[in-house]
Amino acid sequence: MATVEAAAATSAASPVSGGAAEACGLPDFSSATYKDAYSRINAIVIEGEQEAHDNYIAIGTLIPEQADELTKLARMELKHMKGFTACANNLGVVADMPFAKSFFAPLHDNFQKALAEGKVTTCLLIQAILIEAFAISAYHIYIPVADPFARKITEGVVKDEYTHLNYGQEWLKANLDNVREELEQANRDNLPLVRKMLEQVAGDAAVLQMDKEDLMADFLSSYQEALIEIGFTGREIARMAAAALVG
Amino acid sequence: MFGLIGHSTSFEDARIKARELGYDEYADGDLDMWCAAPPQLVERVTVTSRTGKQIQGAYIDSVFVPEMLRRFKTAKRKVLKAMELAQKSGITITALGGFTSIIFEDMNLLKEERVSAVELDWQRFTTGNTHTAWVICQQVETNAPALGIDLASAKVAVVGASGDIGSAVCRYLQRRGVGELLLVARRPQPLVELQESLGEGRILSLEEALPEADVVVWVASLPQSLEIDTASLRKPCLMIDGGYPKNLDSKAAAEGVHVLKGGIVEFWQDIGWQMMEVAEMAKPQRQMFACFAEAMLLDFEEIHTNFSWGRNNITLAAMDRIGEASLRHGFRALALSDQAAAALAPST
Repeated sequence: MATVEAAAATSAASPVSGGAAEACGLPDFSSATYKDAYSRINAIVIEGEQEAHDNYIAIGTLIPEQADELTKLARMELKHMKGFTACANNLGVVADMPFAKSFFAPLHDNFQKALAEGKVTTCLLIQAILIEAFAISAYHIYIPVADPFARKITEGVVKDEYTHLNYGQEWLKANLDNVREELEQANRDNLPLVRKMLEQVAGDAAVLQMDKEDLMADFLSSYQEALIEIGFTGREIARMAAAALVG
Repeated sequence: MFGLIGHSTSFEDARIKARELGYDEYADGDLDMWCAAPPQLVERVTVTSRTGKQIQGAYIDSVFVPEMLRRFKTAKRKVLKAMELAQKSGITITALGGFTSIIFEDMNLLKEERVSAVELDWQRFTTGNTHTAWVICQQVETNAPALGIDLASAKVAVVGASGDIGSAVCRYLQRRGVGELLLVARRPQPLVELQESLGEGRILSLEEALPEADVVVWVASLPQSLEIDTASLRKPCLMIDGGYPKNLDSKAAAEGVHVLKGGIVEFWQDIGWQMMEVAEMAKPQRQMFACFAEAMLLDFEEIHTNFSWGRNNITLAAMDRIGEASLRHGFRALALSDQAAAALAPST
């Protein structure tokens, strides 16, 4: 209904002026600043894939009838890890693994606690929904600003991650009646961690030209979609997702 | 299935609405939180045409508010994400409402068809401008005579004449026959081209055009600073406020100056939805932006294509076609008499 000239005429509020903010080219992949930031972001990705591998194997011990399928997923994660390690080598960067370990610690601890208590739902929410949704969004936002080598690798990875997200969705959907409460609690406990983790690396991500708000928004879209697929209603989801924004 | 992408008129209204709808966390959130929040499919409705045909639709709130206009990247993402949600929800034709289509065009989002993993299919979206232009023309044709203005001799000023809706209105009124078209727009060159293509019309500045016009069609939003010298206007003067947001009534209030909300239609029966209340319609159960109605009409007519798209592509044939469909399915353009009745009605 509205018109182009309408907004243009309202010059005080015109969005047009933002044009300059657009695409200022790719980052300088060889700069020290870029490599420094990349050493942490890349480490997180490598650690994330390693955690994913371990987590899928662990979940397999809780649902033995699915162990084969989960082992298959786990293997893919190791393959991704190798791909991302190659990306660092390609740029001549050494991944800062100690940083990545401490970065993942809170989520890692929550997963281990749930695993020890035999809570499949919580484990799946953390790994197959939260982490996968975040990875997918982050990879999508990274791809347009990645170096050509990493771009190719990441494009391949992202396709796999959808199947993992889908795995978690399907299981939780099939069991929703029994797992609803646990899922909501797990959401409350873990979603705020994702935001805190994102904030920790927002500066590094910005050096890679990945915007914090974009990352959060894209993650929440993916997460919201997963919850819709699992069977939650719009209001329930908005309430759940808000834990990431105001928690 | 049709879709409507809308948004609240201000951040404050949005928070109130969020509270009413049970989205308490959003109601309590600050603007930064709203910036990162994903779009929401808030309502599904079934709409029955006067012909008896039923269609299903969904309302998507882009979780955009005008306060975000200055945040270029945010505004852009809000629009694309809402479109992505519409497409993923399986909606065949979706209208871009309010600032959504303004942002889409101004930021040239046509080149951004890929949002994350999703490739946007432009065929599934419409600006709704064809129907809006047709409705505005109906509003001129119906309400001018009601005020004693004879269109055959009247001077009709179109403010924003070279735009998508404005140029369509000019062509339609030319065919209908009016005394004279007064063409007003900010940029001179497109205006000259319009005048050449029409083969008539007089190019004037806004200040020159207003005192001469019997009818003024506004399809440009008004700068905050704009002041209208109502004393210099002709009386009676019909003003159709077809811009967005609609704020002409406060600027042109005077005896003999009749301001009508432009591009608004009323449906033949109530639609059981909540969302039009955010658009501040007098009768939110029946009234809506004509652009939204276009998505419904295209779905009723099973025209699953981007009927209104790009700039200055609106033909008279398309306006006639959507106009016939509009009447057939039970829409009519908002009239001055509706507004007078609404003003007299006790507020609820």
